[in-house]
Amino acid sequence: MEQLVEAIAERVVGLVVEAIDINAVVSKVDMDALLAKVDVDAIVSKVDVDALIDRVDVEKIVERVDVDRIVGRVDVEQIIERVDVQGIIDRVDVEKVIQQVDIDSLVEQTELGTIIARSTSGVASEALDLVRAQGVGLDDFVARWVNRILRRNPDDLPVGPAGLVTALETIDPPTLPTGRTP
Amino acid sequence: MTSRSPVSAPPVVGRQGNYAGAVTRLVAFAADVGASWGIFTLSVAAVTFAIQLVTGRTVDLTHGRVTSLLTLFALVVWEFVYFAYQWSLSGRTVGMALLGIRVVGVEGGAITGRQAVVRTVTLPFSFLFFGLGFLGILLNRDRHAWHDRFARTVVVYSWDARAARLRWLAKQEPATPS
Repeated sequence: MEQLVEAIAERVVGLVVEAIDINAVVSKVDMDALLAKVDVDAIVSKVDVDALIDRVDVEKIVERVDVDRIVGRVDVEQIIERVDVQGIIDRVDVEKVIQQVDIDSLVEQTELGTIIARSTSGVASEALDLVRAQGVGLDDFVARWVNRILRRNPDDLPVGPAGLVTALETIDPPTLPTGRTP
Repeated sequence: MTSRSPVSAPPVVGRQGNYAGAVTRLVAFAADVGASWGIFTLSVAAVTFAIQLVTGRTVDLTHGRVTSLLTLFALVVWEFVYFAYQWSLSGRTVGMALLGIRVVGVEGGAITGRQAVVRTVTLPFSFLFFGLGFLGILLNRDRHAWHDRFARTVVVYSWDARAARLRWLAKQEPATPS
């Protein structure tokens, strides 16, 4: 009996729905008034955004993005014009950059070395370098002994006139065949 | 006991502007004495030869009281000119240039003509008492000799050790890129 009633009800509802012009009904609905009554915040608060994001396949979306096309539409010239190059240069610590350059390696591995050799090096300058290096070595030897005898700490002594002394950089000595350093 | 390898050496430091050591200064001075005496001797020989050509007589400028005194006076003047002129001009003599050192003021600036003259005139004082005036180069903190004190000068290295090192590196075979 109950099943019969349900079947009749379904049939009736089906006929009624078929008979109703849904579009006409919807067109009479005041959507603005309806939406005004909806508490969107309450709905959103019930949405689990994290779970939603987890279900999004970002990789797949990115794969579908035509980066070349986007880049092609970017006016690089205009961007560069807006960049304050001078400001960037001013912020660069040139001293630090230069300190990171391995000049020895540069000279050894490039034609720069040959150029320097051709332009500056000769038998006379080599001999001078050698004599001077010997002199400096002997100066250091003598100074070391004098400081030892006088019980002076070399670090406490001035290295030169204040106006001339610049930051001293210790550099690795090259090993000459004679065992001397220039 | 630690053994020192014959091929190892202490790190080379950019020495420009540092007080020059006693050995370098001594060698430079010896070179200057050699150069100035050599030039003077050649000049005396040239003058002697010229006098001989003109008068036809053999003259020895180192003999005879007056000629000896004149020659000595000329030597003193010549030495004064040799040192004072070169120091006032560039702060270094030929010998100093060879050894890569120069004279500067105590603050590091170029020396004046007056300082050059005072340094030259007082240089002989440093030889007094068996060279006592030079002892300061060894013992003083700023390596002053007496004539440096009088003229308010110091001697510093002007030789660029780093440039020399680059020259040495440049002479080596370029490394083959790996």
